[in-house]
Amino acid sequence: MRNDRLLVTLAILAGLVLIVIAVIYWVEPAKSLPGFFPGHQAGSGHHHAKHGIAAFFVGLACFAFAWFRSGPKRATPVT
Amino acid sequence: MILAALISYPRAIVLGLLQGVSELFPISSLGHTVILPKLLGWNIHQNGDYFLSFLVATHLATAIVLFCFFWRDWVRILKGIGRSLRDREIGDTDADAKLGWLLVVGTIPAGILGLLLQDTLRKAFASGSIAAGFLIANGFLLYGAELLRRRAPQTDADDDVRIARRVSFPASFLVGAFQSLALIPGFSRSGAAMGGGLFVGLSNKDAARFAFLLATPIIGAAALLKLPQLFGPTGDGVRGPALVASLCSAATAYLAVKFLMRYFETKTLTPFAIYCFCAGLACTIWFAV
Repeated sequence: MRNDRLLVTLAILAGLVLIVIAVIYWVEPAKSLPGFFPGHQAGSGHHHAKHGIAAFFVGLACFAFAWFRSGPKRATPVT
Repeated sequence: MILAALISYPRAIVLGLLQGVSELFPISSLGHTVILPKLLGWNIHQNGDYFLSFLVATHLATAIVLFCFFWRDWVRILKGIGRSLRDREIGDTDADAKLGWLLVVGTIPAGILGLLLQDTLRKAFASGSIAAGFLIANGFLLYGAELLRRRAPQTDADDDVRIARRVSFPASFLVGAFQSLALIPGFSRSGAAMGGGLFVGLSNKDAARFAFLLATPIIGAAALLKLPQLFGPTGDGVRGPALVASLCSAATAYLAVKFLMRYFETKTLTPFAIYCFCAGLACTIWFAV
């Protein structure tokens, strides 16, 4: 049970972080991205919109995982 | 505009017909689109924005045909996903929900790699000789998948129930990872996904069905994402030929998917593997001489 809670919490946190990253990719040009972001390029005004889309969908996948993982547990059939 | 004029209507028809067939046959559409113009001596710049805009239209047409062909299945699958989200579980007997989430998981690797690397890989490998080399590799991949396939008893009568029972989520991710090989011109999207399907224990028919369902959102999303190019300045002079090519592509894609769904009921990937190997080898020699 504790493992499940931990996984759900981690998935929600990862989802939030990824969606924030997606927004940064959409809003900031390549030159203004943090240096450790893939696609950072000094002097470039290009927006890495596709990087943002990728981060957004992986973020959604994390939320979906958390949603299913935190759902009501089915009763185990007695044998 | 001068470059755009290089895609004449006859060439657009040939490229459209070729795209529809080669996107769904496991023989690499991208590879053929790169190789054929070079073989015929067409002076088309493969990395030119006008040519990429042109390809977007043909890909979109293929995706629409695939979506329409499996329309009823998609309705069931989407309802299944909705049910599972409502119930917060994927029921043991709900094959549509399981298949839907398998497709979501399988789309992740190709989706992410496609978004991040598609342009880089296309620019790096958009040469006839390189594509011919990878076409040979595609032949080995298809033949290897047939050799390594895990044969499992196919007990359920319904295709989707069989796929849902047979494929686990990690296996679906693996099939999706196989599919991302298609970012390299010469490797076939459907071929790689079918190969992955065979590897995880599906029959040829089920692997083909799973590969086509898996391909629809990826091809459609990639095309939709680039659609603004076609309607922007880079699409000037290309829209007419692109529309004609799309219609040709849609017609051959429909015939191809109809044929392949029947073909794979009884037959294997081996003939396509032999074709890829021979065509790739012949083109490699031709370009080298």
